[in-house]
Amino acid sequence: MLDKRLVVVSGKGGVGKSAVAAALAQLATRKGKKVLLIDMGESAGLSSHLGVSALEFKPREVRPDLFAMRIVRSDALIEYLTLQLSIRGLKTLSPLARAFDALATAAPAVREIISIGKVLWEVRERNWDLVVADAPPTGQIGSYLRAPVSISELVPTGRIQRQAAWMGGTLSDPEVTRLVLVNLAEELPTTETKQTLKWLDENDLVAPPTVITNRLVSKLSARPSGKGPARESAIHHRAVFTEQQHWLGRLEPDIALPYLFGLLTASEVAARLSDELEASL
Amino acid sequence: MTKALLVTGAGGVGKTTVSAALGVIAARSGLRTLVLTVDPARRLASALGVGEELGPEPQPHPDEPNLWAAMLDASLSWRSVATKHADPDVADRLVNNEFFIAASQHFPASQSYAAADQAATFVEAGAWDIVVVDTPPSAGGIDFFTAPAQMADLVGGRLLRWLTGGPLPGRFLYRRAGRPFLRLADSILGSDLLERVAEFLLDLRTTYDGVSDRGRQIEALMGRATILVVTTADPAPIAEATRFYRELPDVGGTPVAVIFNRTLPAEWSGFQPPDDLQRELAENVVRWGAESLRQSDARTGFAAVHHAHVATIPWVPDPPNDLDGLGRLIESADALPDGLFEAP
Repeated sequence: MLDKRLVVVSGKGGVGKSAVAAALAQLATRKGKKVLLIDMGESAGLSSHLGVSALEFKPREVRPDLFAMRIVRSDALIEYLTLQLSIRGLKTLSPLARAFDALATAAPAVREIISIGKVLWEVRERNWDLVVADAPPTGQIGSYLRAPVSISELVPTGRIQRQAAWMGGTLSDPEVTRLVLVNLAEELPTTETKQTLKWLDENDLVAPPTVITNRLVSKLSARPSGKGPARESAIHHRAVFTEQQHWLGRLEPDIALPYLFGLLTASEVAARLSDELEASL
Repeated sequence: MTKALLVTGAGGVGKTTVSAALGVIAARSGLRTLVLTVDPARRLASALGVGEELGPEPQPHPDEPNLWAAMLDASLSWRSVATKHADPDVADRLVNNEFFIAASQHFPASQSYAAADQAATFVEAGAWDIVVVDTPPSAGGIDFFTAPAQMADLVGGRLLRWLTGGPLPGRFLYRRAGRPFLRLADSILGSDLLERVAEFLLDLRTTYDGVSDRGRQIEALMGRATILVVTTADPAPIAEATRFYRELPDVGGTPVAVIFNRTLPAEWSGFQPPDDLQRELAENVVRWGAESLRQSDARTGFAAVHHAHVATIPWVPDPPNDLDGLGRLIESADALPDGLFEAP
């Protein structure tokens, strides 16, 4: 996975998507790669998994060779207009940016193309060995992956059309892009991940994704005995294990990550997950 | 008077299950109860007695005469924005308009506005003693409270004015010539796209009076609602719960309590296994003890920082699939605030 140029991480809300994205980026850095980690959402999750203050649009080196940024749509739009569409010489771009913002509210795919376009631009510019995107949740990921196609339908000619063509090509190239879906062995996440897999299969926009199931407990062979917490926690553990096995039976992951017990901070979680990922990759 | 109980929180914390469970207890205490839910798991839908047919119309539970359930439907409510607040011919144009359809899916506040509008409608109907609302998790849920104002702003034409250069009377005046950046946008996007968007926004704007009046009614109802925040002890949901405690007082009201779902027994914290316990079991209880300790630290920290009333619901590994299971979830809860179901 880490030999690709772009890893896009999605998953249902609450499954640990940002933690996995941060862990993958840290692992790649340890392997000697220069990495850009991009927060495509609006939550503060990713920065807390890195243990740093809020991310900005301009990439910041948060660890040696690990840079992190957040997509700010207005900044991304101005960059898109100047760099990708080569629109220069305007005294100020903000009125144009506001017109686009109106468009982005109403027109399909405009806001998505600005975000995914920035990610793909960073891949294309080759300033990094690997770009890891902490992408929107599975409920929205389809409209982001489909954005280049949607834009082509909306704007059938011209510069935007040409931009959309290479973007779509980059996403669909299995040598370049890998999609990761983070899942939990519970009913709602598994149902949603399976729906997403089906949609991806029907739409053929990216190579088949890697499914990572997070927070799995291992089998407890010993029968519950003793009394009090010892017995209760054994019963609890076995019940969690049984429930998880049921959902693992519905969707077998490519990579299994363990439940991490007693970790206090988000950055501890990401650091431990990166060790676990190293062991499974 | 109907009481509104709003259950908020990050996605994935069991908010929908907690809402349903609260509804079961309210119904069993003799209150006519409606649970409004978003996207319930299959097992939960069947526990609510509605199977897969759950729709926007409240359905009575076959075994619990005081309990109804309905599903919030964002797309439906956008249609009603058009049909309720626009002239019939404009409404026809709107509901079939590609941008209208896209906006109903994409505008971040739209799902929340739709949910708030439907919830308010059921509260106003007066047919129930209590309406339990499972708020949609989009954008963290806080926009459930800000959505009415945002919607009014959207249809009120703030964006339209950027496109057209001023408040415009009548049908379509697209001042391309006077606005160089629009000429430029035109050259990038192709000739008619901005025109189509502007036409759409003009149609949408005719709903402004209706939407802003409705928005004020919804906000007034929200202001009287009882708000519960559901979280787990994990960092991401706690960050979300923190936002509610910081920001809700400005837009809706102060939560009456934060419920930590999936809580492990406190007496497991730091438990020292006896020497004669089998090694695998000893390691197991130490792991879960560390997890329990982490959870109680998280609760204590949250209560101290936000002066919050903290309640807990135990971690039940296999989610409830019937009314009794849902009821037990609340019966085994600790420190739920008093008077949760009482009339306002």
